[in-house]
Amino acid sequence: MVTSLSRKIWQTLASIKTGVILLILVVIFSAVGTLILQRPTTDPDELQRAYSPQMLRVLDALGLTNVFHAWWFVLLLTLVSLSIIAASVQRFPNAWRFYSRPYKSPDENFRKAQALQAVIPVRNEEAGLSAAERGLRKSGFNAEHIVHENSFSLFSERNRFSEMAVYIVHASLLLIFLGTSIDALYGWRASLMLTRGEQSNHVQPENATTRTLPFFVRCDSAGRENYADGSPKKWWSNLSVIENGNVVLRKQIAVNDPLVYRGLRFYQASFGDTGKIDRLELVATARDGHDQKDFTIGLDETFPLDADTTVRLAEFFPDYAVGDGRVYARSNSLENPAAHLVVESKKSGKQINVWRPQIPGLDENEASPYIFEAKDVQMAYFTGLEVSHEPGQWFVWAGVILLGLGLAVVFYLVHVRIWIVPVRDARCQLALWVGGTANKNREAFEHRFSKLVEEIEREIKNSEQAAGVETSVATVAVR
Amino acid sequence: MARVAKVEQPAATGTGLVVMVGLGIAFLLFMAFLNVVKSGNLLNESNLLYATLTFYAGAGTLYLAFGITGTPSYIKYASFATWIGLLANTGAVAHRWYQAGHAPFASIYEMLLSFVWTLAVLTLIAEKKYGVKVIGTVTMPVAIVGVVLMQLLRTEVRPLVPALQSTWLHVHVTLAMLAYAACALSFALAMMFLIKDKMQTETFLATISLFCMVTYLGVLTRFEKWGGLSVVAWNPAETSEVFLGKNMRLFVVIPELGWAMVLVLAAVTVPIVLYLVWRKTGDHRFIDIANRTVFVNILLQVLALAFFVARAKEGQYASPDADGLYTTSLAASPFILAGLVGGIFVSLLYLLLLWRRDDLERMLPSAEELDRITYRTIAIAFPLLTLMIAAGAYWANRTWGSYWSWDPKETWAAITWLVYAGYLHMRVTRGWRGRRAAYFAILGFAIVMFTFFGVTYLLPGLHSYA
Repeated sequence: MVTSLSRKIWQTLASIKTGVILLILVVIFSAVGTLILQRPTTDPDELQRAYSPQMLRVLDALGLTNVFHAWWFVLLLTLVSLSIIAASVQRFPNAWRFYSRPYKSPDENFRKAQALQAVIPVRNEEAGLSAAERGLRKSGFNAEHIVHENSFSLFSERNRFSEMAVYIVHASLLLIFLGTSIDALYGWRASLMLTRGEQSNHVQPENATTRTLPFFVRCDSAGRENYADGSPKKWWSNLSVIENGNVVLRKQIAVNDPLVYRGLRFYQASFGDTGKIDRLELVATARDGHDQKDFTIGLDETFPLDADTTVRLAEFFPDYAVGDGRVYARSNSLENPAAHLVVESKKSGKQINVWRPQIPGLDENEASPYIFEAKDVQMAYFTGLEVSHEPGQWFVWAGVILLGLGLAVVFYLVHVRIWIVPVRDARCQLALWVGGTANKNREAFEHRFSKLVEEIEREIKNSEQAAGVETSVATVAVR
Repeated sequence: MARVAKVEQPAATGTGLVVMVGLGIAFLLFMAFLNVVKSGNLLNESNLLYATLTFYAGAGTLYLAFGITGTPSYIKYASFATWIGLLANTGAVAHRWYQAGHAPFASIYEMLLSFVWTLAVLTLIAEKKYGVKVIGTVTMPVAIVGVVLMQLLRTEVRPLVPALQSTWLHVHVTLAMLAYAACALSFALAMMFLIKDKMQTETFLATISLFCMVTYLGVLTRFEKWGGLSVVAWNPAETSEVFLGKNMRLFVVIPELGWAMVLVLAAVTVPIVLYLVWRKTGDHRFIDIANRTVFVNILLQVLALAFFVARAKEGQYASPDADGLYTTSLAASPFILAGLVGGIFVSLLYLLLLWRRDDLERMLPSAEELDRITYRTIAIAFPLLTLMIAAGAYWANRTWGSYWSWDPKETWAAITWLVYAGYLHMRVTRGWRGRRAAYFAILGFAIVMFTFFGVTYLLPGLHSYA
């Protein structure tokens, strides 16, 4: 009872009909998943704009707003995998028998059933067969002698392996499913924001608590290159991996080129202005005009201009505005920068506020012994890293390679078999029966087969002519 | 079979049309030459594209003429024109590649350029190697529509954003173009098979009417109150759509255009209704009327297209979502445009079938041969599709850290793959040959087209519009 039920389930799973129905279901639900807005990829606001509250409740309850992670979709994919397994397991023994025990000496019924066959009359069985073997080899086929009780026949075969390629394709699909399942269960994604010089071992997965990594990641520097029209060309970050206080790995990552350490991948995902300055390049010219200095300075750093005078970068605004007698930042992007420098004399201890550009009411630029000119500004960027852990991806890639190879074999390697058997033809004359099959691209094989038959006929004729001379010589000798 | 009173047509002499097409090409090239002399710039991309279009159009005309009259010399000249067009097309691809510094796969314009190139190459291969001479009748018009669409889409070289700077992108898109071109070919072959397989002309009538109906229904999802049709607003200065927010396009309403589309929808529905009446009553007069309606419908469709082009090209329109007037452009509605042109094109092909079916059948290889070649092109397309998806997944993994994220394009690529996988299983295990296999090939190509155009233009449109 139980066995019959389980067998029934097994049979159903293994049938091609079930497979196709499951595939159709996958197609339908995938399509639905692209037509209805999906929760993971859309803003909640947008969803509320698109659907009425009742509608949204229904869609949510049915899992249609998150089709690709819904339990029933996962179940569907599992059933597809099971169906592939069942179908392969059910058909495998037959295929394996066919593969491992090639049919080398065809009996009469088999011979009659062949679509491609020819009968070539010969005078001598052995000479005919060896001529046929020469014909086979000349046409690029190998030849195997199949020995019977008191005669032998020829068998030629190539690419028998192609009969098994379908199983490789199915196995590779299962491997890909396995990889994606592992990733679905054990993989995770998180993000990590770092500014220059900052290090961290805490990453923030979406909708989950912070994860702690067994090592630190430090951003040594980060930057962007732009095209002439201002659109981004490249974002990069120099990262160091620090484990137990030692730098174990350094790499410059960019979009398309992640850093990989201990199965974790760090991707350049986003990039932005912190609104803070990294380096400011200044030219300071003394009032008397003969002393000029070119230097760079960071925030709160001091640079000695001469024995007595120093300059400090006190404040920097990437996009400044003045209001109520003070300067404030309007935005974080480098649009309208202002720098506040403090020039100090060691002897007198006098501090002079210098503003670039001049800000009336605040700056004391006229009192400074140096005139400052800004040459270049380097902003401190933050780099947005995406961290992903995909332990299953190697199964996926292995599966993909296997799939490619499998498909190439399935479509382009032809399993060809040729038999040459000595027989008696309709008039009881000695003849060679030549038959052949190919498991795909039969038209091309048909052509090859007729060429082969011609070649064999030519060989037989040649050998018989040569033999004919010999026989006559022999006959003469006897007489 | 078609019991339509055949319109007696003067037997076109072989040379007459060739000379006319040749003169047409010469005239167009001469006009272009005058322009070139004025600008002093011969080998630039737009000139090369123009030459491509001219020669493909010439080839298309000759292929169609061959389909109609069966004059063998046409095919010779048609292939010759295709060869020259392909040369110019290759030049345009090379020019673009050199100028952009990357293989031309970065934008939909560049992908169309590569797609058309591949299609022309495959057409010549199918013709020379497999002897499917009339294949150009279907593929060349597709190539022409492609080149025309290209003229409307943005052409300036855009620098590649960081995510696109990858060899894997090029691998991915090359494979996609090869696969899609092979799918297009299998579609054309499947259609030829159905013709050769004595599929009733009436069934084709029903199919093309259904296609036109679905197209106009699709267009009319944009129907607005008071008979307008909403289209995406276009900013000519930036040559891009106008966005309200992230993924939110601004729509403007072109008045009256909606009514025009409703009218054409009603007209293209008539043949299918008549077809159904014929199926019920068996009275063939209904089909005769339907055939005449198709002829009228072509005129109506051309008018609707002209109306749409005229209104979309010029003028400013109000938007329901924002104040003020905005312009639009044909480039903002490639999906509608492709739909309208496609509708006219299939209707014309139907007329060709209706009037010249016997000649057409004589020109084709046997049904079994066509069935086999269809299968063989799919046997090429399927591994290419597989590798295309794999290369895309690998690229996504390097760029975003995830090889599969179920975005609409990915999902539809997977659906395409599954449909062709279904085709292969049914063919191999169930021995599906002939009709059913041909339907599958047609379905597969329809899904390919949806993945290529529909997902890009319709799904985001749905999302911002829903």
